[in-house]
Amino acid sequence: MIVVGERIHIISPKVKAAIEARDTKAIQEMALRQVEAGSHYLDLNIGPSKKSGVEVMGWIVDAVQQVTDLPLSLDTTNAAAMEAGLKACVRPAMVNSASAEQVRLTNMMPLAAKFNAELIALTMTEQGIPGTADGRAAVALDLINAAMEYGISSDKLYLDPLVLPVSADQPGVKETIEAIRVFKQLVEPAPKTIVGLSNVSNGAPNENRGLINRVFMVMCLGAGLDSAIVDPLDYELIEWAKIVEARDASSPRNRILVSLYDSVANMEDFDPSIVDMSDPEQVAIYKTVQILNNQIIYAHSYLKV
Amino acid sequence: MPVTVETPIEKWNGKVREVTLGATQAEGGTRTSTVTVGGSATLPFLHFEGSVPHRPVIAIQIQDVDPQDWSPALRAAWGDTTKDVVAWAKKAAELGPDLIALNLRSAHPDAGNRGADEVAQTVKSVLGAVGLPLIVYGPGVAEKDNDVLVRVAEVTAGERLAIGLCEQGNYRTIVAACLANGHIAIARAPIDVNIQKQINILINDMGLPLDRILMDPTTGALGYGLEYSYSVLERLRLSSLQGDGMTQMPTICTVGEEAWRAKESKVSEGVPEAWGNYAERGVIWETITATTQLQAGADIVVLRHPKAVGLIRKTIDLMMAQ
Repeated sequence: MIVVGERIHIISPKVKAAIEARDTKAIQEMALRQVEAGSHYLDLNIGPSKKSGVEVMGWIVDAVQQVTDLPLSLDTTNAAAMEAGLKACVRPAMVNSASAEQVRLTNMMPLAAKFNAELIALTMTEQGIPGTADGRAAVALDLINAAMEYGISSDKLYLDPLVLPVSADQPGVKETIEAIRVFKQLVEPAPKTIVGLSNVSNGAPNENRGLINRVFMVMCLGAGLDSAIVDPLDYELIEWAKIVEARDASSPRNRILVSLYDSVANMEDFDPSIVDMSDPEQVAIYKTVQILNNQIIYAHSYLKV
Repeated sequence: MPVTVETPIEKWNGKVREVTLGATQAEGGTRTSTVTVGGSATLPFLHFEGSVPHRPVIAIQIQDVDPQDWSPALRAAWGDTTKDVVAWAKKAAELGPDLIALNLRSAHPDAGNRGADEVAQTVKSVLGAVGLPLIVYGPGVAEKDNDVLVRVAEVTAGERLAIGLCEQGNYRTIVAACLANGHIAIARAPIDVNIQKQINILINDMGLPLDRILMDPTTGALGYGLEYSYSVLERLRLSSLQGDGMTQMPTICTVGEEAWRAKESKVSEGVPEAWGNYAERGVIWETITATTQLQAGADIVVLRHPKAVGLIRKTIDLMMAQ
């Protein structure tokens, strides 16, 4: 799984303060920690930053590039800031993001083309996010065609089906996973797929969020997910990704993860017979699978029952 | 050539839990009869598929203060009896419902703000006047609900009342009172299966057994969210049948309250002529809402109009006939 490190995000008070103070060292430290944790890309989210976006994006790209060669994902809706950031990048970057909303499409696609950047494309229109996998696939096709017109080949696209919280839209989780599968089959060469993983557990109690994120990730990987925007310091998350990638079935827990991955990949029901119902960790994983598959109604305390 | 079509039969793993309301003298209460709801092992009225051991039941809703804000059509139907809650309870019982649902409206700060002791005596009086099991609702203001319902639960210990409403923001005190005095808690969620399941879990987590919880997933009246509450009831029933223990409680629907809140039931003047006869319209509104809820999986419907009670009883008779 291509790991896009999400920790440099304006929503974090620490990041916000570092940006406001143009604290190069603080930003570089955050970048380095994510590099060491095994990130493949670093996301730089400066928000819309209407006033000083151009200057901020140029500054933050320079700061991070001084300490790492990793490609950068530039995350802003401000087109001028995006352009400034792309100019500052010494290696091809990633534009985060375009969507099928007219403004976001016409702002971001030409920039990605001009700077030979990869592009995250959200399957969302002015009407919102389609509820079904097929609805999202239709938007994805429009995005692929639009990108082609700008000269962006489909393998440079990272299609994002947009993950909605299981606590708010439980039936939607399966549609998101299916969308990933369908996206991979839309064109040759296959576009890449990406999700903002932690949104699946938004609204859930903090103590359950990590588990929901991890189980959801395994299911998405089974459907063909290439990449996720995640916290690379979430050790267990990265560990689980490695387990399914290496097909490491060396422990009962790992066997469940590999089997879960395979069940989604083969479009089969997950077989609970391999779950040891006396092991709380295994049971918690199984309950989370049932919740994400919409087999059992979600409740915040679903792990208790 | 005749074609034989086999009726598809679904195999279910679970069923709705049985809950018994009311306790006779032998059981520690004073009721002359008890009512058991739930137990269905299939979708509503699919007798060919699974067992439906108990018919859905009807509660008639009364309150302890004359409901001057009720629709004129309702007030006309009940006449002067609504001025005295005991007389009203007796008249309601004569219509042959399975349960009486008593709203302790008088404890509401806007409706007299009566204290817990006085209101608890009202409940005792109603219990003395009718032999049916009782549902008791607080005034719907968290602080007063807690105050009043605790007192009610104490003075009626052992009667196995159904007491509500327990909501996510306010349930602990009421549940504790039910737990200590042998009553049943009504768990209310705002037309939301996830919150419904969560409140069920929270209540059970306090130690109240699952056969002493009823679910009220909130009723939307015809034209006011009926299709949403239909979906929620249906989803909860399917989930019960699929074996989810935390959604297997029987459901109670406050049909009368919602149907008579609708403009169509309340307003007699200045409305299109096509709306038809005012006297019948509210009854139709309530009856259609109740019928739909029953088809979606309601185990108890709480009604207000005597005519709706008759029509719904006939409907249940027909749906239960095999």
